[in-house]
Amino acid sequence: MADSPPVRVVLAKVGLDGHDRGIKVVARALRDAGMQVIYAGLWQTPEAVVRAVAEEDADWLGLSLLSGAHMTLVPRVLQLLRGAGLEHVGVLVGGIIPEGDIPKLREMGVARIFGPGTSLPEIVTFLQERSGAGHA
Amino acid sequence: MPAMLETLLERFRQRDRLALSRLLSTVARGERIEEILTGVGETAKPARVVAFTGSGGVGKSTLVGKSIETIRQRGQSVAVLACDPQSPLSGGALLGDRFRMTARPDDDGVFIRSLAAAGGHGALAEHLPALVHLFEAFGFDVVLIETVGAGQGDTVVREWVDVLVLLLQPETGDDLQWEKAGLLEVADAIVIHKADLSGAERVEAQVLATLSLGTGPVAPVLRVSSRTGAGLAELWQTIASLPLRRGRQKRGRDLLLLAQQTLTARFAAVEAHPELQQLLAAWERGTVTSTQAAAALFRLLRDTDS
Ligand SMILES: Nc1nc2c(ncn2[C@@H]2O[C@H](COP(=O)(O)OP(=O)(O)OP(=O)(O)O)[C@@H](O)[C@H]2O)c(=O)[nH]1
Ligand SMILES: [Mg+2]
Repeated sequence: MADSPPVRVVLAKVGLDGHDRGIKVVARALRDAGMQVIYAGLWQTPEAVVRAVAEEDADWLGLSLLSGAHMTLVPRVLQLLRGAGLEHVGVLVGGIIPEGDIPKLREMGVARIFGPGTSLPEIVTFLQERSGAGHA
Repeated sequence: MPAMLETLLERFRQRDRLALSRLLSTVARGERIEEILTGVGETAKPARVVAFTGSGGVGKSTLVGKSIETIRQRGQSVAVLACDPQSPLSGGALLGDRFRMTARPDDDGVFIRSLAAAGGHGALAEHLPALVHLFEAFGFDVVLIETVGAGQGDTVVREWVDVLVLLLQPETGDDLQWEKAGLLEVADAIVIHKADLSGAERVEAQVLATLSLGTGPVAPVLRVSSRTGAGLAELWQTIASLPLRRGRQKRGRDLLLLAQQTLTARFAAVEAHPELQQLLAAWERGTVTSTQAAAALFRLLRDTDS
Protein backbone atom coordinates (compact mmCIF):
# COMPACT_ATOMS: atom_id res chain seq x y z
CA MET A 1 0.00 0.00 0.00
CA ALA A 2 2.77 2.41 0.97
CA ASP A 3 4.34 2.66 -2.46
CA SER A 4 1.14 2.55 -4.48
CA PRO A 5 0.24 6.04 -5.70
CA PRO A 6 -2.28 7.90 -3.56
CA VAL A 7 -5.90 7.49 -4.60
CA ARG A 8 -7.28 10.78 -5.90
CA VAL A 9 -10.97 11.47 -5.51
CA VAL A 10 -12.93 14.45 -6.83
CA LEU A 11 -16.05 15.19 -4.80
CA ALA A 12 -18.66 17.49 -6.24
CA LYS A 13 -22.22 18.42 -5.76
CA VAL A 14 -24.23 18.81 -8.91
CA GLY A 15 -27.67 20.30 -9.15
CA LEU A 16 -29.26 23.17 -7.35
CA ASP A 17 -29.57 22.23 -3.71
CA GLY A 18 -27.41 24.13 -1.32
CA HIS A 19 -25.94 22.28 1.59
CA ASP A 20 -22.62 20.48 1.64
CA ARG A 21 -22.30 19.08 5.14
CA GLY A 22 -22.56 15.47 4.00
CA ILE A 23 -19.96 15.78 1.29
CA LYS A 24 -17.53 17.47 3.65
CA VAL A 25 -17.87 14.68 6.20
CA VAL A 26 -17.13 12.14 3.48
CA ALA A 27 -14.18 14.24 2.29
CA ARG A 28 -12.63 14.19 5.74
CA ALA A 29 -13.13 10.45 6.16
CA LEU A 30 -11.42 9.75 2.85
CA ARG A 31 -8.52 12.04 3.74
CA ASP A 32 -8.11 10.26 7.06
CA ALA A 33 -7.96 7.00 5.12
CA GLY A 34 -4.96 8.37 3.21
CA MET A 35 -6.66 9.54 0.04
CA GLN A 36 -6.23 12.86 -1.74
CA VAL A 37 -9.63 14.47 -1.88
CA ILE A 38 -10.32 17.36 -4.21
CA TYR A 39 -13.40 19.20 -3.14
CA ALA A 40 -14.80 20.78 -6.28
CA GLY A 41 -17.73 22.51 -4.65
CA LEU A 42 -21.43 23.10 -4.85
CA TRP A 43 -23.77 23.74 -7.75
CA GLN A 44 -21.38 22.28 -10.27
CA THR A 45 -22.41 21.70 -13.83
CA PRO A 46 -21.58 18.29 -15.34
CA GLU A 47 -19.10 20.07 -17.65
CA ALA A 48 -17.24 21.69 -14.76
CA VAL A 49 -17.12 18.41 -12.85
CA VAL A 50 -15.64 16.48 -15.76
CA ARG A 51 -13.12 19.21 -16.32
CA ALA A 52 -12.04 18.95 -12.68
CA VAL A 53 -11.65 15.18 -13.01
CA ALA A 54 -9.44 15.65 -16.06
CA GLU A 55 -7.23 18.36 -14.58
CA GLU A 56 -6.87 16.58 -11.25
CA ASP A 57 -6.03 13.18 -12.77
CA ALA A 58 -8.63 11.66 -10.45
CA ASP A 59 -9.22 7.93 -10.06
CA TRP A 60 -12.72 8.43 -8.68
CA LEU A 61 -15.53 10.91 -8.97
CA GLY A 62 -18.02 11.16 -6.13
CA LEU A 63 -21.21 12.95 -7.08
CA SER A 64 -23.62 14.14 -4.48
CA LEU A 65 -27.18 14.84 -5.58
CA LEU A 66 -30.28 15.63 -3.64
CA SER A 67 -32.29 17.54 -6.13
CA GLY A 68 -34.00 14.62 -7.85
CA ALA A 69 -32.41 15.42 -11.19
CA HIS A 70 -30.14 12.38 -10.99
CA MET A 71 -31.62 10.63 -14.01
CA THR A 72 -30.53 13.50 -16.23
CA LEU A 73 -27.38 14.70 -14.44
CA VAL A 74 -25.67 11.35 -13.90
CA PRO A 75 -26.01 10.12 -17.50
CA ARG A 76 -24.77 13.49 -18.68
CA VAL A 77 -21.65 13.24 -16.49
CA LEU A 78 -20.99 9.67 -17.65
CA GLN A 79 -21.36 10.68 -21.27
CA LEU A 80 -18.99 13.63 -20.85
CA LEU A 81 -16.43 11.44 -19.07
CA ARG A 82 -16.44 8.99 -21.97
CA GLY A 83 -16.20 11.83 -24.44
CA ALA A 84 -13.16 13.19 -22.64
CA GLY A 85 -11.33 9.85 -22.60
CA LEU A 86 -11.99 9.39 -18.88
CA GLU A 87 -13.87 6.11 -18.93
CA HIS A 88 -11.33 4.67 -16.48
CA VAL A 89 -12.61 6.95 -13.73
CA GLY A 90 -14.91 5.21 -11.26
CA VAL A 91 -18.14 7.08 -10.54
CA LEU A 92 -19.91 7.00 -7.20
CA VAL A 93 -23.25 8.59 -6.49
CA GLY A 94 -24.40 9.70 -3.06
CA GLY A 95 -27.76 11.03 -2.09
CA ILE A 96 -31.40 10.14 -1.98
CA ILE A 97 -31.95 7.92 -5.00
CA PRO A 98 -35.26 6.10 -5.38
CA GLU A 99 -34.85 2.32 -5.11
CA GLY A 100 -36.09 1.79 -8.64
CA ASP A 101 -33.45 4.03 -10.21
CA ILE A 102 -30.48 2.26 -8.62
CA PRO A 103 -30.26 -0.61 -11.13
CA LYS A 104 -30.64 1.87 -13.98
CA LEU A 105 -27.74 3.98 -12.73
CA ARG A 106 -25.63 0.87 -12.17
CA GLU A 107 -26.34 -0.23 -15.70
CA MET A 108 -25.23 3.15 -17.05
CA GLY A 109 -21.85 2.57 -15.41
CA VAL A 110 -22.07 4.00 -11.88
CA ALA A 111 -19.77 1.88 -9.71
CA ARG A 112 -21.81 2.24 -6.55
CA ILE A 113 -24.67 4.23 -5.07
CA PHE A 114 -24.50 5.26 -1.42
CA GLY A 115 -27.84 6.11 0.13
CA PRO A 116 -28.45 8.38 3.13
CA GLY A 117 -27.92 5.56 5.65
CA THR A 118 -24.43 4.65 4.41
CA SER A 119 -21.70 4.54 7.04
CA LEU A 120 -18.38 6.23 6.40
CA PRO A 121 -16.33 3.03 6.83
CA GLU A 122 -18.49 1.46 4.12
CA ILE A 123 -17.46 4.13 1.62
CA VAL A 124 -13.81 4.04 2.67
CA THR A 125 -13.61 0.25 2.47
CA PHE A 126 -15.26 0.18 -0.93
CA LEU A 127 -12.80 2.68 -2.37
CA GLN A 128 -9.78 1.01 -0.80
CA GLU A 129 -10.73 -2.44 -2.04
CA ARG A 130 -11.60 -1.31 -5.52
CA SER A 131 -8.55 0.95 -5.83
CA GLY A 132 -6.18 -1.77 -4.67
CA ALA A 133 -7.56 -4.14 -7.28
CA GLY A 134 -7.34 -1.46 -9.95
CA HIS A 135 -10.84 -0.35 -10.76
CA ALA A 136 -9.80 0.86 -14.17
CA MET B 1 6.04 1.32 -18.42
CA PRO B 2 8.71 3.07 -20.53
CA ALA B 3 6.56 2.60 -23.64
CA MET B 4 3.66 4.15 -21.77
CA LEU B 5 5.75 7.14 -20.76
CA GLU B 6 6.86 7.61 -24.36
CA THR B 7 3.23 7.68 -25.47
CA LEU B 8 2.34 10.16 -22.77
CA LEU B 9 5.20 12.43 -23.75
CA GLU B 10 4.19 12.26 -27.38
CA ARG B 11 0.63 13.19 -26.46
CA PHE B 12 1.94 15.99 -24.26
CA ARG B 13 3.89 17.44 -27.17
CA GLN B 14 0.64 17.44 -29.13
CA ARG B 15 -1.00 19.50 -26.37
CA ASP B 16 -3.13 16.72 -24.89
CA ARG B 17 -4.43 18.01 -21.55
CA LEU B 18 -4.95 14.52 -20.12
CA ALA B 19 -1.32 13.69 -20.83
CA LEU B 20 -0.31 16.89 -19.04
CA SER B 21 -2.51 15.89 -16.12
CA ARG B 22 -1.02 12.39 -15.93
CA LEU B 23 2.55 13.66 -16.17
CA LEU B 24 1.88 16.16 -13.37
CA SER B 25 0.89 13.21 -11.16
CA THR B 26 4.02 11.25 -12.05
CA VAL B 27 6.29 14.21 -11.31
CA ALA B 28 4.41 15.05 -8.10
CA ARG B 29 5.19 11.51 -6.91
CA GLY B 30 8.84 12.16 -7.67
CA GLU B 31 8.99 9.54 -10.41
CA ARG B 32 11.01 9.73 -13.64
CA ILE B 33 11.49 13.46 -13.43
CA GLU B 34 14.65 13.62 -15.57
CA GLU B 35 13.11 11.58 -18.36
CA ILE B 36 9.94 13.64 -18.32
CA LEU B 37 11.67 17.01 -18.25
CA THR B 38 13.85 15.98 -21.15
CA GLY B 39 10.91 14.46 -23.00
CA VAL B 40 8.58 17.44 -22.86
CA GLY B 41 11.11 19.46 -24.79
CA GLU B 42 12.27 23.03 -24.62
CA THR B 43 9.91 25.77 -23.54
CA ALA B 44 9.14 28.14 -26.36
CA LYS B 45 8.74 31.08 -24.04
CA PRO B 46 9.31 31.34 -20.29
CA ALA B 47 6.12 31.65 -18.28
CA ARG B 48 5.63 34.28 -15.61
CA VAL B 49 5.44 32.33 -12.35
CA VAL B 50 3.62 34.06 -9.51
CA ALA B 51 3.14 32.65 -6.02
CA PHE B 52 0.55 33.84 -3.53
CA THR B 53 1.22 33.37 0.14
CA GLY B 54 -0.36 34.54 3.37
CA SER B 55 -2.08 33.13 6.45
CA GLY B 56 -5.01 30.75 6.27
CA GLY B 57 -8.23 32.48 5.26
CA VAL B 58 -6.57 35.64 3.94
CA GLY B 59 -8.19 34.93 0.56
CA LYS B 60 -5.42 33.33 -1.52
CA SER B 61 -7.73 30.99 -3.42
CA THR B 62 -10.31 33.70 -4.03
CA LEU B 63 -7.68 36.10 -5.36
CA VAL B 64 -6.16 33.40 -7.57
CA GLY B 65 -9.65 32.69 -8.90
CA LYS B 66 -10.23 36.35 -9.69
CA SER B 67 -6.76 36.63 -11.20
CA ILE B 68 -7.64 33.89 -13.68
CA GLU B 69 -10.34 36.16 -15.12
CA THR B 70 -8.04 39.17 -15.19
CA ILE B 71 -5.23 37.26 -16.90
CA ARG B 72 -7.61 35.83 -19.50
CA GLN B 73 -8.86 39.35 -20.20
CA ARG B 74 -5.26 40.35 -20.75
CA GLY B 75 -5.17 37.67 -23.44
CA GLN B 76 -2.85 35.25 -21.66
CA SER B 77 -3.30 31.59 -20.75
CA VAL B 78 -2.93 30.55 -17.13
CA ALA B 79 -2.21 27.41 -15.11
CA VAL B 80 -2.74 27.12 -11.37
CA LEU B 81 -1.03 24.90 -8.79
CA ALA B 82 -3.01 25.03 -5.56
CA CYS B 83 -1.21 23.51 -2.59
CA ASP B 84 -2.92 22.27 0.55
CA PRO B 85 -1.29 20.42 3.43
CA GLN B 86 -0.98 16.67 3.51
CA SER B 87 -2.09 15.04 6.74
CA PRO B 88 1.05 13.80 8.49
CA LEU B 89 -0.96 11.02 10.11
CA SER B 90 -2.78 9.45 7.19
CA GLY B 91 -0.81 10.80 4.25
CA GLY B 92 -4.14 11.90 2.80
CA ALA B 93 -5.11 15.43 1.95
CA LEU B 94 -8.18 17.57 1.62
CA LEU B 95 -7.61 19.83 -1.34
CA GLY B 96 -10.22 22.55 -1.03
CA ASP B 97 -8.80 25.54 -2.87
CA ARG B 98 -10.16 24.67 -6.25
CA PHE B 99 -13.80 25.32 -5.49
CA ARG B 100 -13.08 29.02 -5.07
CA MET B 101 -11.63 29.19 -8.55
CA THR B 102 -14.01 29.02 -11.44
CA ALA B 103 -13.21 28.98 -15.09
CA ARG B 104 -15.43 28.55 -18.10
CA PRO B 105 -15.59 24.77 -18.59
CA ASP B 106 -14.69 25.07 -22.27
CA ASP B 107 -11.77 27.46 -21.86
CA ASP B 108 -8.54 25.67 -22.79
CA GLY B 109 -6.54 28.69 -21.70
CA VAL B 110 -6.98 27.68 -18.07
CA PHE B 111 -5.76 24.61 -16.14
CA ILE B 112 -6.20 24.19 -12.39
CA ARG B 113 -4.40 21.49 -10.43
CA SER B 114 -4.55 20.75 -6.69
CA LEU B 115 -1.53 19.33 -4.92
CA ALA B 116 -0.83 17.84 -1.52
CA ALA B 117 2.14 19.42 0.20
CA ALA B 118 3.94 17.07 2.54
CA GLY B 119 6.25 18.44 5.22
CA GLY B 120 9.74 19.42 4.21
CA HIS B 121 9.25 22.49 2.13
CA GLY B 122 6.27 23.32 4.25
CA ALA B 123 4.30 25.64 2.10
CA LEU B 124 4.63 23.80 -1.18
CA ALA B 125 4.21 20.53 -2.91
CA GLU B 126 7.43 18.66 -3.61
CA HIS B 127 9.07 18.93 -6.99
CA LEU B 128 7.43 22.28 -7.61
CA PRO B 129 9.99 23.56 -10.13
CA ALA B 130 9.52 20.46 -12.26
CA LEU B 131 5.73 20.83 -12.11
CA VAL B 132 6.04 24.45 -13.15
CA HIS B 133 8.30 23.40 -15.99
CA LEU B 134 5.60 21.05 -17.31
CA PHE B 135 3.12 23.92 -17.50
CA GLU B 136 5.73 26.10 -19.09
CA ALA B 137 6.60 23.53 -21.73
CA PHE B 138 2.90 23.02 -22.41
CA GLY B 139 2.77 26.68 -23.34
CA PHE B 140 1.03 28.48 -20.50
CA ASP B 141 1.88 32.18 -20.29
CA VAL B 142 1.31 32.52 -16.56
CA VAL B 143 1.62 29.98 -13.74
CA LEU B 144 -0.05 30.83 -10.43
CA ILE B 145 0.90 29.02 -7.24
CA GLU B 146 -1.12 29.06 -4.05
CA THR B 147 1.06 28.11 -1.10
CA VAL B 148 -0.26 26.33 1.97
CA GLY B 149 0.15 29.46 4.03
CA ALA B 150 2.74 31.93 5.16
CA GLY B 151 5.68 30.45 6.92
CA GLN B 152 9.25 29.39 6.73
CA GLY B 153 8.78 27.71 3.38
CA ASP B 154 8.37 31.07 1.71
CA THR B 155 12.03 31.86 1.38
CA VAL B 156 12.33 28.69 -0.71
CA VAL B 157 9.29 29.65 -2.77
CA ARG B 158 10.88 32.95 -3.62
CA GLU B 159 13.74 31.26 -5.42
CA TRP B 160 11.43 29.17 -7.52
CA VAL B 161 9.12 31.90 -8.76
CA ASP B 162 9.36 35.21 -10.57
CA VAL B 163 7.05 37.12 -8.29
CA LEU B 164 6.12 36.33 -4.70
CA VAL B 165 2.95 38.09 -3.55
CA LEU B 166 2.23 38.34 0.17
CA LEU B 167 -1.40 38.77 1.19
CA LEU B 168 -2.39 40.57 4.37
CA GLN B 169 -5.85 41.49 5.57
CA PRO B 170 -7.43 44.01 7.93
CA GLU B 171 -7.87 42.98 11.53
CA THR B 172 -5.02 40.50 11.67
CA GLY B 173 -4.10 42.03 15.02
CA ASP B 174 -1.64 44.73 15.86
CA ASP B 175 1.38 42.57 16.44
CA LEU B 176 2.30 42.31 12.76
CA GLN B 177 2.89 38.57 12.65
CA TRP B 178 4.14 38.80 9.10
CA GLU B 179 6.87 41.15 10.13
CA LYS B 180 8.22 38.61 12.58
CA ALA B 181 8.27 36.02 9.86
CA GLY B 182 10.44 38.31 7.78
CA LEU B 183 7.93 38.04 4.98
CA LEU B 184 7.75 41.71 4.14
CA GLU B 185 11.35 41.61 3.00
CA VAL B 186 11.08 38.57 0.76
CA ALA B 187 7.81 39.56 -0.92
CA ASP B 188 7.99 41.17 -4.38
CA ALA B 189 4.53 42.68 -3.98
CA ILE B 190 2.32 43.11 -0.94
CA VAL B 191 -1.45 42.97 -1.22
CA ILE B 192 -3.70 44.38 1.46
CA HIS B 193 -6.53 42.01 0.64
CA LYS B 194 -10.23 42.29 1.49
CA ALA B 195 -9.84 46.03 1.05
CA ASP B 196 -13.65 46.24 1.08
CA LEU B 197 -13.45 45.71 4.85
CA SER B 198 -12.69 48.55 7.20
CA GLY B 199 -9.15 48.82 8.48
CA ALA B 200 -7.41 48.24 5.15
CA GLU B 201 -5.93 51.74 5.12
CA ARG B 202 -4.55 51.25 8.60
CA VAL B 203 -2.80 47.99 7.66
CA GLU B 204 -1.44 49.64 4.53
CA ALA B 205 -0.03 52.51 6.59
CA GLN B 206 1.59 50.05 9.01
CA VAL B 207 3.15 48.09 6.18
CA LEU B 208 4.50 51.21 4.50
CA ALA B 209 5.91 52.44 7.80
CA THR B 210 7.64 49.11 8.40
CA LEU B 211 9.00 48.94 4.88
CA SER B 212 10.40 52.46 5.10
CA LEU B 213 12.65 51.32 7.98
CA GLY B 214 14.37 48.76 5.81
CA THR B 215 17.38 49.38 3.65
CA GLY B 216 16.54 47.32 0.56
CA PRO B 217 14.24 48.21 -2.32
CA VAL B 218 10.63 48.62 -1.25
CA ALA B 219 8.04 46.23 -2.68
CA PRO B 220 4.88 47.79 -4.13
CA VAL B 221 1.90 47.75 -1.76
CA LEU B 222 -1.61 47.52 -3.22
CA ARG B 223 -5.09 47.43 -1.79
CA VAL B 224 -7.20 44.74 -3.49
CA SER B 225 -10.68 43.36 -2.94
CA SER B 226 -11.57 40.11 -4.62
CA ARG B 227 -15.14 40.71 -3.54
CA THR B 228 -15.58 44.00 -5.40
CA GLY B 229 -12.76 43.56 -7.92
CA ALA B 230 -11.15 46.82 -6.85
CA GLY B 231 -7.40 46.90 -7.39
CA LEU B 232 -7.21 43.68 -9.41
CA ALA B 233 -6.26 45.28 -12.71
CA GLU B 234 -3.65 47.41 -10.94
CA LEU B 235 -2.24 44.32 -9.22
CA TRP B 236 -1.75 42.56 -12.54
CA GLN B 237 -0.26 45.63 -14.12
CA THR B 238 2.25 45.75 -11.27
CA ILE B 239 3.03 42.03 -11.44
CA ALA B 240 3.53 42.21 -15.20
CA SER B 241 5.97 45.09 -14.81
CA LEU B 242 8.24 43.25 -12.35
CA PRO B 243 11.35 41.54 -13.76
CA LEU B 244 11.35 37.78 -14.36
CA ARG B 245 13.69 36.89 -11.54
CA ARG B 246 13.61 33.15 -12.12
CA GLY B 247 15.15 33.38 -15.56
CA ARG B 248 18.40 34.81 -14.31
CA GLN B 249 18.83 32.45 -11.37
CA LYS B 250 17.67 29.46 -13.33
CA ARG B 251 20.34 29.64 -15.99
CA GLY B 252 23.03 29.51 -13.31
CA ARG B 253 21.37 26.59 -11.59
CA ASP B 254 20.88 24.78 -14.87
CA LEU B 255 24.56 25.09 -15.65
CA LEU B 256 25.58 23.67 -12.29
CA LEU B 257 23.08 20.86 -12.70
CA LEU B 258 24.47 20.04 -16.12
CA ALA B 259 28.03 19.96 -14.78
CA GLN B 260 26.90 17.66 -11.99
CA GLN B 261 25.14 15.32 -14.38
CA THR B 262 28.13 15.23 -16.72
CA LEU B 263 30.43 14.34 -13.87
CA THR B 264 28.11 11.60 -12.66
CA ALA B 265 27.86 10.16 -16.14
CA ARG B 266 31.63 10.19 -16.52
CA PHE B 267 32.14 8.44 -13.21
CA ALA B 268 29.72 5.77 -14.38
CA ALA B 269 31.51 5.44 -17.71
CA VAL B 270 34.93 5.18 -16.10
CA GLU B 271 33.90 2.53 -13.61
CA ALA B 272 34.37 -0.32 -16.08
CA HIS B 273 37.45 1.19 -17.69
CA PRO B 274 40.43 -1.26 -17.67
CA GLU B 275 42.76 1.61 -16.89
CA LEU B 276 40.88 2.27 -13.68
CA GLN B 277 41.18 -1.38 -12.65
CA GLN B 278 44.96 -1.24 -13.29
CA LEU B 279 45.19 2.00 -11.36
CA LEU B 280 43.33 0.52 -8.38
CA ALA B 281 45.53 -2.59 -8.44
CA ALA B 282 48.71 -0.49 -8.56
CA TRP B 283 47.45 1.66 -5.70
CA GLU B 284 46.64 -1.42 -3.64
CA ARG B 285 50.15 -2.79 -4.26
CA GLY B 286 51.56 0.54 -3.15
CA THR B 287 53.35 1.26 -6.44
CA VAL B 288 51.47 4.56 -6.80
CA THR B 289 50.58 6.94 -3.95
CA SER B 290 47.02 8.07 -3.20
CA THR B 291 47.80 11.52 -4.59
CA GLN B 292 49.14 10.05 -7.81
CA ALA B 293 46.12 7.74 -8.09
CA ALA B 294 43.69 10.61 -7.57
CA ALA B 295 45.45 12.69 -10.25
CA ALA B 296 45.33 9.76 -12.65
CA LEU B 297 41.63 9.31 -11.94
CA PHE B 298 41.00 12.98 -12.76
CA ARG B 299 42.84 12.59 -16.06
CA LEU B 300 40.73 9.56 -16.82
CA LEU B 301 37.50 11.46 -16.06
CA ARG B 302 38.63 14.40 -18.15
CA ASP B 303 39.41 12.27 -21.19
CA THR B 304 36.28 10.14 -20.99
CA ASP B 305 33.27 10.93 -23.12
CA SER B 306 30.13 10.16 -21.23
N1 LIG C 1 -14.62 40.69 2.56
C1 LIG C 1 -13.89 39.94 1.74
N2 LIG C 1 -13.82 38.60 1.95
C2 LIG C 1 -13.06 37.86 1.10
C3 LIG C 1 -12.37 38.45 0.03
N3 LIG C 1 -11.69 37.46 -0.62
C4 LIG C 1 -11.97 36.31 0.03
N4 LIG C 1 -12.80 36.54 1.09
C5 LIG C 1 -13.31 35.52 2.02
O1 LIG C 1 -12.26 35.02 2.82
C6 LIG C 1 -12.49 33.64 3.16
C7 LIG C 1 -11.25 32.81 2.85
O2 LIG C 1 -10.99 32.83 1.47
P1 LIG C 1 -10.01 31.79 0.76
O3 LIG C 1 -9.81 32.28 -0.61
O4 LIG C 1 -10.50 30.41 0.95
O5 LIG C 1 -8.70 31.98 1.63
P2 LIG C 1 -7.31 31.16 1.55
O6 LIG C 1 -6.24 32.10 1.91
O7 LIG C 1 -7.22 30.50 0.23
O8 LIG C 1 -7.50 30.08 2.69
P3 LIG C 1 -6.64 28.73 2.90
O9 LIG C 1 -6.43 28.08 1.57
O10 LIG C 1 -7.50 27.93 3.81
O11 LIG C 1 -5.35 29.14 3.55
C8 LIG C 1 -13.72 33.23 2.36
O12 LIG C 1 -14.82 33.21 3.21
C9 LIG C 1 -13.86 34.30 1.31
O13 LIG C 1 -15.19 34.50 0.90
C10 LIG C 1 -12.49 39.87 -0.18
O14 LIG C 1 -11.91 40.50 -1.08
N5 LIG C 1 -13.25 40.56 0.73
MG1 LIG D 1 -6.98 28.45 -0.26
